[in-house]
Amino acid sequence: MKKIIIVLMMLAVPVLAKVDLTTLPARDSVQLTIYNSADITLARESRDLTIREGLNRLQFSWANTLIDPTSLEMMALAHQSDIDVMDLTFPPRVRELGLWNIQSEVSGKTPFEISYFTSGISWRAFYMGTLSENESKMTLQGYVRVTNNSGEDYENAQVRMVVGEINLLDQISMLAQRQYPYGSPMPIPKAFRETETLSRKSNTRSLGMLADGLMMAESAPAMMAKDVMKESLSEYQLYSIEGTETISNGWSKRLPSFKPKDVPVKNLYKYEERMYGPNVIRFLSFKNDKEHELGDSPIPEGVLKVYRNVDAQSHLAYTGQSGFKYIPVGEDVELNLGAVGNVVVEPKLMDYKTDNYRFDGNGNIKGWDEIRTFKVELKNTREIPVKLEIKRNFDSSYWTIKNEGKYGEYEKIDLDTVKYTIELAARAKKEFSYELTTYNGSRMDEFIKANR
Amino acid sequence: MKIIRTILVLVMVMATMAQGRIKLVALPERADSIVRLDNPQFTLIEEERVLTLQQGVNKVDFSWKGVNIDVDSIRLSVIDHPDEVKLLNVSYPPNEAALVWEISSNQAREETVRISYLLGGIDRLVTYKAVADKDETQVDLKSYIVLRNFSGEDFDNTQIVLDYGQTFMRDIRHEETKQLQFFKKTEVPITKIWTFDARSMVWDPETVPDQNIGIPVSYRIVNDKKSKLGDNALWDGKTRIYQNDGHDSTIFLGEDNAPMTPVGEKVELKLGNSRDIVVTQRKMDTKDINKIFTKESDYRNRRLVMFDREELITAKIENFKDKTATLTMIQQIPGEWEMLDCNMKYTRKDNNTIEFEVKLPARSADGPAKKELEMKYVIRHIRANQQPRVINR
Amino acid sequence: MKIILVILAMAMPLLAKVDLTTLPGRDSVQLTIYNSADLTLARESRDLTIRQGLNRLQFSWANTLIDPTSLEMQPLARQSDIDVMDLTFPPRVRELGLWNINSEVSGKTPFEISYFTSGVSWRAFYMGTLSEDEKKMILQGYVNVSNNSGEDYENAQVRMVVGDVNLIDRIAMLARRQYAYDNPVKMLGQTVTNTALGDEKLVGNNFSFDYAMPGMGMAGGRGGVMKKLKEVVKESLSEYQLYSIEGTETIRNGWSKRLPSFKPVEVPVKNLYKFDDGMYGYTVQRFISFKNDKEHKLGEVAIPEGMIKVYRNVDDEGHLSYAGGSNFKYVPVNEDVELALGSVEDVVVEPMLMDYKTANYRFDDKGNIKGWDEVRTFRFELKNTRDVPIKLEIKRNFDSSYWTISNEGDYGEYEKIDHDTVKYTIELGAESKKVFDYVLTSYNGSRIDEYIKK
Repeated sequence: MKKIIIVLMMLAVPVLAKVDLTTLPARDSVQLTIYNSADITLARESRDLTIREGLNRLQFSWANTLIDPTSLEMMALAHQSDIDVMDLTFPPRVRELGLWNIQSEVSGKTPFEISYFTSGISWRAFYMGTLSENESKMTLQGYVRVTNNSGEDYENAQVRMVVGEINLLDQISMLAQRQYPYGSPMPIPKAFRETETLSRKSNTRSLGMLADGLMMAESAPAMMAKDVMKESLSEYQLYSIEGTETISNGWSKRLPSFKPKDVPVKNLYKYEERMYGPNVIRFLSFKNDKEHELGDSPIPEGVLKVYRNVDAQSHLAYTGQSGFKYIPVGEDVELNLGAVGNVVVEPKLMDYKTDNYRFDGNGNIKGWDEIRTFKVELKNTREIPVKLEIKRNFDSSYWTIKNEGKYGEYEKIDLDTVKYTIELAARAKKEFSYELTTYNGSRMDEFIKANR
Repeated sequence: MKIIRTILVLVMVMATMAQGRIKLVALPERADSIVRLDNPQFTLIEEERVLTLQQGVNKVDFSWKGVNIDVDSIRLSVIDHPDEVKLLNVSYPPNEAALVWEISSNQAREETVRISYLLGGIDRLVTYKAVADKDETQVDLKSYIVLRNFSGEDFDNTQIVLDYGQTFMRDIRHEETKQLQFFKKTEVPITKIWTFDARSMVWDPETVPDQNIGIPVSYRIVNDKKSKLGDNALWDGKTRIYQNDGHDSTIFLGEDNAPMTPVGEKVELKLGNSRDIVVTQRKMDTKDINKIFTKESDYRNRRLVMFDREELITAKIENFKDKTATLTMIQQIPGEWEMLDCNMKYTRKDNNTIEFEVKLPARSADGPAKKELEMKYVIRHIRANQQPRVINR
Repeated sequence: MKIILVILAMAMPLLAKVDLTTLPGRDSVQLTIYNSADLTLARESRDLTIRQGLNRLQFSWANTLIDPTSLEMQPLARQSDIDVMDLTFPPRVRELGLWNINSEVSGKTPFEISYFTSGVSWRAFYMGTLSEDEKKMILQGYVNVSNNSGEDYENAQVRMVVGDVNLIDRIAMLARRQYAYDNPVKMLGQTVTNTALGDEKLVGNNFSFDYAMPGMGMAGGRGGVMKKLKEVVKESLSEYQLYSIEGTETIRNGWSKRLPSFKPVEVPVKNLYKFDDGMYGYTVQRFISFKNDKEHKLGEVAIPEGMIKVYRNVDDEGHLSYAGGSNFKYVPVNEDVELALGSVEDVVVEPMLMDYKTANYRFDDKGNIKGWDEVRTFRFELKNTRDVPIKLEIKRNFDSSYWTISNEGDYGEYEKIDHDTVKYTIELGAESKKVFDYVLTSYNGSRIDEYIKK
């Protein structure tokens, strides 16, 4: 249902007096730019208005929609030097209505553009991943889903989506519902507020009813899946859906955004007590780059459901799901699929000794070392090779470490954390040991001296 | 709705009762009026009215109802014959929003007077709209006055004035809000800046795996002649920033509150966050050195008096963008400190704050452009458990 | 009019039904109004026709705020022949006094009755209009007299006193006591009633008064004559300033009246800005400063405390912009005046601690720290973004009286205010910047003793 109505008022008539109004034809075209980090959509519509030379008054109303009146703007798309949009007035004692004064030196049909923010239209990305039987490749399907609860039907709209975190000071839905578009310099008297709440309630109700009555508005199904064009603007990604879409109020629409086949993935398992407790966590890891059949554009944040091909007939098994964050081009992706029992990491303290006691003049202990030997046992019970990352924390910055066994690479992460990276073949076991020496009391000073 | 009224009491001598006042002839409506909005807290109304004065002393009654006028602010100035027409005194009748001027004139005449007063419930907001070009090197900047009239009074054909920019002649109704464009500047140069502030932002994104740690992005505008501005201070106001998308349309980049910006000063407006620049900062080492203890014969009784704490900080900066960027990185080192080693140039902003400008190339086919800060400093600690305080003013 | 004077027929019992002669209204009245307390001295003169022998004079003031303990009466002629014997506050009537006057003469005699009343007040009020370049300000002074005393004062000579008077009781309280001088036997109920009255004002009381209004001459008199602005004569008496308004004024109960107190003067002023984080936080405060002296076209008398509203001329047509409001305190002759207009953003003071070091540690025998110095380097960046030159005062407080300071850069004048405060005074040209550093060394523990020895 069309709730946004534009009326061109007869000339030289007092504002809001009963006059002959000409309701204008519907918008000629409309573009929606929808954001995902906040409830905001930039709508831009063009309409051909027949204006006269002199002063023109244009009334714009949007009852029962969620338009932010402070964002309203109007400009002529032709004869710009001859047409002056003088001011925008929100007249007293009416809501959801604005009045433009337009001074024109020309007359005739002129295209105008009206733009505004609305809340209630949103989009989100979500993904389906299908792993190959050997879990070395994944087919990734990306979708976008657009939902319109704005109160207004947008027919044949050019739909664009923005990926990015914009800075917003006020919620658009709040701005859309204020009694006065810019608030008032004084506190509103109580009587006013009560009536306002009442009208707000009935508003919502009528919105809901309208949504029910709108089941017919779905547009004809397209013959082919539409392309989504991606480009980067400032710090954001702009996705434009090919052609136009009709998204009626209350409706959602799902569109495919991309489908790279056979993305090489790694089965990554992580163990870090500080972060995950004594559990092994499974990750699917790949990179947003050419090598991984990706890398054209960043991947917007979303939820991925992962399935696995279990036979040649493409029967699927559900593996798990993971929410993931925005992934820039060239960045590693790690999809957390949760704790598992089929890859096992067991660290054990095998030996504890103290050593190198130092005494003061009175024979009291002033320094000593603690030496701990840990054995870490690793088991891969799966039939595919896996990669393991094990992080160990020491709670001290005075330490040295010695390693034994097949421990793979070892990397210092920060002052008290190291990381071991180990590849395990299918159905394989490994174990490695490390000896951690920590220094206490005056042994710290000796340690510092020795390392200088 | 005319609520402010001026009445001329024509009869000089009247049978006055102690309480009741007799108001006689209403004066002509206000002629010119000005709504002056240059003071953000107070709105000054100036209105001109023509008084028909008789020779001698005239009483002029000025009363209002349902509006909030600061009584002490009411001024009357004589415009045409200031030497011959004098305001003698002002009387305030009991329990009434009114006053009575005694004006003497040396002859009967029509005299224009200007009445000014501070009126409550009417004010203005300033808002801005900036549209950046595709390269983000300049913006077209428009500024609007939003006049909010909830004063209880209507003004016909009044002049709306800020301290600079365009003035407007408009009717203003009670409870009306009006948005007026009062200046427009095209091609105002901007600088795009990315900021990592180690004082308030997450150091290591790996500790929050499901979240992007966005790097705040701002446009910097200098209020000076070089930037086609600099004639006046820019009022504070909400600024919405858009960008030309190269398809005859724009996208919205974000909004921020611009603070009041005097001439010569710069303003930084935050758009949003970049997630294509990633900073991973970690404390790689800390050691306590130069310990001084109290002199005790028993080791266990001695107390640490002072020591120096050495810290090694690394910050990996990755640019995943296909464009270059300059990151401003703010690091805080509190108290009494000394830099031992630092692989990048910095400026000291104040005792606790240093700032790095990190120029980042665009990403290459091999992956993101990387730079890594390594700094080692020492902080003096007095008394073992006392942490150094951040004092900057 | 509520104050009524009656001469009672002689030798009649008090308050018995007697023939009363209501006397004509007062011939003249003078009001001396104080601003530091709710106190006004009223002095009225009336011509009374008295007889030889005992005269009884009844004075009543229902529904006004007169302090009965201040009532006084004296003849203005034949003083040696007329004896005001006593003043009685008769029982069971309120707001009424009775004078016994013994006279050796008869005939019409002028008398003066004086008393204190509360409810009449005045305040000073000012308007300042800055020139466009803000170098001059036209200062207009007004007095605002309000009458809520319950009594109409017509054609009164109005005088105002500036100064702090010492008062033991509030006049409003004295005016409301049940008994003029109270009651030695405290009656519970009565006391409660008295206190319950509190200091609620006598505005709009519901009593009706059956008195006739005499034909009232308007203050302005007849039309046809160009009236001049009234002069206010100012003089000093004891520790007080007395302002007398020329001629007479009629101020009815409930009304107030604003009168010019001096002719507008064009005062040369300075734009003064202050930064004092102890006082105002980290903001810059704007002041208009001048001096109450000849050089500034003032200096003849002290300026009483009051509210000022400051405007600025924005063009040649006399259009105004509102700059701000401020409260003046009492300004003696030759004293500096600083009108606070609030915090501003167009003058910027940025203080920064640029460096902090400790030094000169002293240890006791046990190895504990017993003394040390703290050395702080502060940088001040000052910006005047306005198109007029300004003067800037920066105060810094150190929380210690053991310190030394050294300065660098454009620091202007520097002055020690008290044991732990210094003040920098800097002139800044239009649209200009300055930077200065100071190094503050403060001494702690045993270093204080070393500092004192030096």
